[in-house]
Amino acid sequence: MTNSPDTISPEAIGKAFAPVPRGLGAILGFAPWLVVVALIGTALVVGGYISTVVAFALIYALFVSGLNVFMGLTAQVSFGHNAFAAIGGYTSAVLTTAYDWSPIAAMGAGLAGALALAAVIGWPTLRLKGHYLSMGTLAIGLITYEIAVQWTSVTQGYMGISGIPSLGIGRFEAVSDRQILVVLTLTAALGAWCVARIRRSRFGRALAAIAGSEEAARALGIDVASYKLASFLISAGYASIAGSLFVHVVGYVSPEVFGLHMVILAFTMLYVGGIGTVVGPLVGALLVSMLPETFRGFRDYQDLAYGAALIAILVYAPRGLAGLAELFRKDAP
Amino acid sequence: MSGDLLMQSLVSGLAIGCVYGLIGIGFCVIYNASGIVNFAQGAFVMLGGMLTHVGLKTWHLPYWAAALFAVVAVAVLGVVLERIVVRPLWRRKAPVFVMILATLAAQIVIERLTFLLVDDQPKTLPVFTDLPPLKLGAVALSYQTLWIVAGSLAIVAGLAVFFKSTLTGKAMRACAIDREAALLQAIPVSRMLALAFALSAALGAVAGILLTPTQYTAFNVGVPFAISGFIAAIIGGFGRPFGAFLGGLMLGVVQSVAILSLGSGLKSAAALSVLLVFLFFRPAGIFGVAK
Repeated sequence: MTNSPDTISPEAIGKAFAPVPRGLGAILGFAPWLVVVALIGTALVVGGYISTVVAFALIYALFVSGLNVFMGLTAQVSFGHNAFAAIGGYTSAVLTTAYDWSPIAAMGAGLAGALALAAVIGWPTLRLKGHYLSMGTLAIGLITYEIAVQWTSVTQGYMGISGIPSLGIGRFEAVSDRQILVVLTLTAALGAWCVARIRRSRFGRALAAIAGSEEAARALGIDVASYKLASFLISAGYASIAGSLFVHVVGYVSPEVFGLHMVILAFTMLYVGGIGTVVGPLVGALLVSMLPETFRGFRDYQDLAYGAALIAILVYAPRGLAGLAELFRKDAP
Repeated sequence: MSGDLLMQSLVSGLAIGCVYGLIGIGFCVIYNASGIVNFAQGAFVMLGGMLTHVGLKTWHLPYWAAALFAVVAVAVLGVVLERIVVRPLWRRKAPVFVMILATLAAQIVIERLTFLLVDDQPKTLPVFTDLPPLKLGAVALSYQTLWIVAGSLAIVAGLAVFFKSTLTGKAMRACAIDREAALLQAIPVSRMLALAFALSAALGAVAGILLTPTQYTAFNVGVPFAISGFIAAIIGGFGRPFGAFLGGLMLGVVQSVAILSLGSGLKSAAALSVLLVFLFFRPAGIFGVAK
């Protein structure tokens, strides 16, 4: 495929060097962070059901933050990151239940496995562009799902694995809702901080150059293939950790958890929050997770609402909520 | 004995391959008119069978009228989809994956609406000709298989005539070669895009109606069909409708052999592996250079 301008995302370009906003733009720039802090704060204080919802949202926030490195900062596309979440999640589940590993060690093993797979499949896959890349990654996600269903001796197929221990390091174990929430908040914050650092670094600027134009980046002496692979590995690592956290928080895993639904949900979050921004994945994950809770009586309508909302956002607000600030910045002289 | 079994599964592979081929052609028709990959293609297949079933069982229409209603309704839906989802993004020159995502979201919306308006039960249609299967040696050949193969071949032949001889067909091919040049020749490019969606939706619906009597349809069968059709299009070299048909036949055969040797659980994994092999080693398909 050609590297024509419409195969890349203009949304991602130039964000890293935007000037510091003033006035209304500055206020709107902080608004998403306030929403994030307010929602997590409420969950910490109130506890109970809302803290469960926010806990899921934070796990997804980590997953989406990683996806954002690959899609937002590098302007590539992956419909298959659920594969890496599945590897992290299943490795954690199997090692902690069948082999009595500690959660942290199992998470590390899952991370190593996900990175190894990402390196092996990333090399041929990342040469693809446009809809070929989309389909290649989608296929990887779907194959992983099939394997999770069929490899019953390890994954127990549709039955799933239950009795997974909660998160813990050494003698500390996060059992209560609040403890889990604190651990997840710290993890998600660390994840977001790393994305912010990456975006401002030399590495991040190289990714932005690749996002702008691969040919131009290559002409500037950037090793495009290696940087794309590195970006893919980082996002796969985030996905794997998110998968591990998920199985420990829920205590149960089945193939459905890491199905196509996960991909669609993550894309919705990424676009609601704002692709290519640091806060976007956090605010997107929190808002999208809170939304269906308000319509909890209508479970059947949830996917319908997700789909319709995703279309509306893609068509009318392609830069998401975190992009609102820029809308006003453009008007300013 | 196992030779007969192999022949039998080749026959069923070719029949399902025809359906994959029709879906693949649907992908190509839209891609050629616009450069867009429409992932709601599977929804058209599902709706073809589903709406025929509704016409037949709920409204008690004759079979042919129900099928006709389904094809027309799905074609109209294709145009609606083009107008409210695809066109605004196309105008904005949205990135390719935004378009894929938007059409995939449309697929989900259509799926869920079907689920809410009809139900979640798998449904099947009566076979077109209710006679015992023909016996060719030890291989049984059902009349529905013949309908699928004959119907698909007739459609492919019809499309060949349409693209080669009619003014509209030629205009669509012109759009595929170079949209700007086509515009300069006073070809209404945006109307061609709407037409491409209608045609491709109708093709999907026909594929669904032909296939449903041998399998079943339910609100969630769309995505696997869309993926199979896409794989067929890739094998054929994306944007070549007749290549896509041959690609569909090939995929159908590979899949049925995989079911025979590996068990039915891995049939999607086999199809997806075929896709990855082609993407990695032969992204231009079996018939030469990529467009």
